[in-house]
Amino acid sequence: MTEENYRHVYVVIEHIDGKLLPVSLEMLGEARRLFDDFNARYSSNEKIVAVILGNNIKDFSKELIEYGADAVVCADHPELKDLRNTIHTKVISQIALDKEIASRIEPDYAKEFKKPRYIFFAADSIGRHLSSTVLVELESGLASDINKLVIHDMTVTHQIKTEGKPTLFKKTLEMYRPDFSGFLWTTILCLNNTTPSIKREYYPQGCSIIPGVFEPIKPDPKRSGEIIFYEPKIDENDLKVKVLSHKIVKSEVDFEIRKAVVSFGRGIKDAPDENIKLVVELAKQLDAEIGISLPISKKLLPASQAISSTYMIPARVIGTSGSKISPMLYVAIGISGAMQHIAGMQDSEFVVAINPDENSPIKNECDIFINGRMEDVIPLLVEELKKQQQVVQAG
Amino acid sequence: MEPLNLAVIVKLEPDFSEGNVSYKPDGTLNRNETKSTLGPHSGIAAKAAFYAKVKYGAKISVCSMGPPWADIALQQAQQTCDADVLHLYSDRIFAGADTLATAETLKTGIEKMQGKMDIVFSGHRASDGETGQTGPQTAWKLGFTFIGNVISYDVNLEKRTVVAKCLLTLNGVPNVIEEIEAPLPVFLTIDPSYKSNFTTVSQRIAFEKYQKEAYERARNFKQSLKVFNIDELGVDKTLVGLAGSPTIVYQVERIPKGKATRQAEVFDGSNSEHIRKVVAKMREALSAMVIK
Repeated sequence: MTEENYRHVYVVIEHIDGKLLPVSLEMLGEARRLFDDFNARYSSNEKIVAVILGNNIKDFSKELIEYGADAVVCADHPELKDLRNTIHTKVISQIALDKEIASRIEPDYAKEFKKPRYIFFAADSIGRHLSSTVLVELESGLASDINKLVIHDMTVTHQIKTEGKPTLFKKTLEMYRPDFSGFLWTTILCLNNTTPSIKREYYPQGCSIIPGVFEPIKPDPKRSGEIIFYEPKIDENDLKVKVLSHKIVKSEVDFEIRKAVVSFGRGIKDAPDENIKLVVELAKQLDAEIGISLPISKKLLPASQAISSTYMIPARVIGTSGSKISPMLYVAIGISGAMQHIAGMQDSEFVVAINPDENSPIKNECDIFINGRMEDVIPLLVEELKKQQQVVQAG
Repeated sequence: MEPLNLAVIVKLEPDFSEGNVSYKPDGTLNRNETKSTLGPHSGIAAKAAFYAKVKYGAKISVCSMGPPWADIALQQAQQTCDADVLHLYSDRIFAGADTLATAETLKTGIEKMQGKMDIVFSGHRASDGETGQTGPQTAWKLGFTFIGNVISYDVNLEKRTVVAKCLLTLNGVPNVIEEIEAPLPVFLTIDPSYKSNFTTVSQRIAFEKYQKEAYERARNFKQSLKVFNIDELGVDKTLVGLAGSPTIVYQVERIPKGKATRQAEVFDGSNSEHIRKVVAKMREALSAMVIK
């Protein structure tokens, strides 16, 4: 087998309640940028294949092509209306291995095609799990929660994978994952098996992509592409799993309707309950919604049940793992400013940071840096806000 | 009716709680100085299994792949769910495994447990890197129906089915809660917002009884513990550890600091004149007409 047997990038599209999720178009945008460059460098003509499963979803195909797909594989079937892991995993895997589909995508390589070269999923509640099960079914490697992708030929020396010998891996996808702290990047590679005694081929190279990281391309209504309808083979036995209900829940947190957002981070640690109360007081004065940094949502700081279940929840996280916001005023309290947080707030109009450490990265991302501890600064701010408010009312 | 046979997969992780975690000056984790503990998401998975034990009666086995000292994670999990059996899969060859290879080890271990499993539980993700693949990958290898993001569940013992409520968090659209029914066996990954709903007096009595038992068992946890090396587990060597991992960690680097996007004006937080100016600017920002 050569790497020529593995072709294209398959992008698994997500949609819910009749709408494409933004991350689907973001993935297509990044795939387009990667593949325009890839095809130029390698003088090839590999494609971006959007894979979409559902019921009554044919109308999405045109939009997916406008946003960068060269081909759309559409599995439209009443039993695919709901998302059921087993059925979806099997149908995506069928599509990935289907030679008939491959021959429609690129007739010249119809005979050689074995598997997709790369496969992209979204790193959300749907894609994280689907990517995991599909990559087991296809017996290949997966890197999750990726926010940067690079493709090139790499020579890798690895004690076990290459028995210590420098080995060339062509067209390798470098998958960058930010770690939990937001300060480190781990590069993950899915390298094909080089041990002849083991009959395995580690393709496709799979990843799940963090929503909100990549930009979609500008849709082009003139773009054309191949639309392929696939009749899924569904196992009777898998139909015993049923989705009994599907409810949209309104979040108790709404960043959109407020002009201001006040967020806090690990800087509250000395007295979580008291400090969060201070933050709440400041937010009240500014009529602001309350946000948090990612580590706070992990509930590792001791706080009372009432405080923690109201404020230390994932719905409040600002950043790549939470919401991307652009309020008129953003106040960052005790937040050091890891990249993944910055990505969520950098579009704010005006940014104020309160922090005792002038070397924290947040200083480069704010308009006003108040040097001080929140315990000291917030009460002064609250008092001054009340005072200036009164002046306005009196005037 | 047969009692339920349950397994829980847990992981030893760095203890990120304040006082136990240590960061280097550059903000990255100092692994040498940081203690290890049962991962918080693993703890929630154990709690979810305990719910079934209290409500329906069950036998619980907890397993983990890790170094010999990962037995403390099993002990902590036992204290949470009153486990009957603890399995540790520990061998140098397992080290460096990616999630596919880890799933192979765990699947082999679970299939070795006594009786056929009805429900296997795992956490939503690990807090130190693994991003939630191991659960679904183990499920697929076991051939169990996978249900993720579970916030509550119940079992119908007569029909041998489970009904689980799942929270889907998606970007750009409101969250969704789905209710899924599936015949046993199933594999559930438990969402951080999971809650056990004990409603009746008899459940509360059972809860207290098993909690006491759990405390006693955990004190003598080595009596329930069995450690397996690769040969004892009987797993295919080419499918586990680094050899069985399609992916490798190629490098770890610092994420380059972004260029300063704003030029901050620095104010002294203890100076009342400074505070007055800051508040004036904040109010100005809020009253500005923004044309987008």
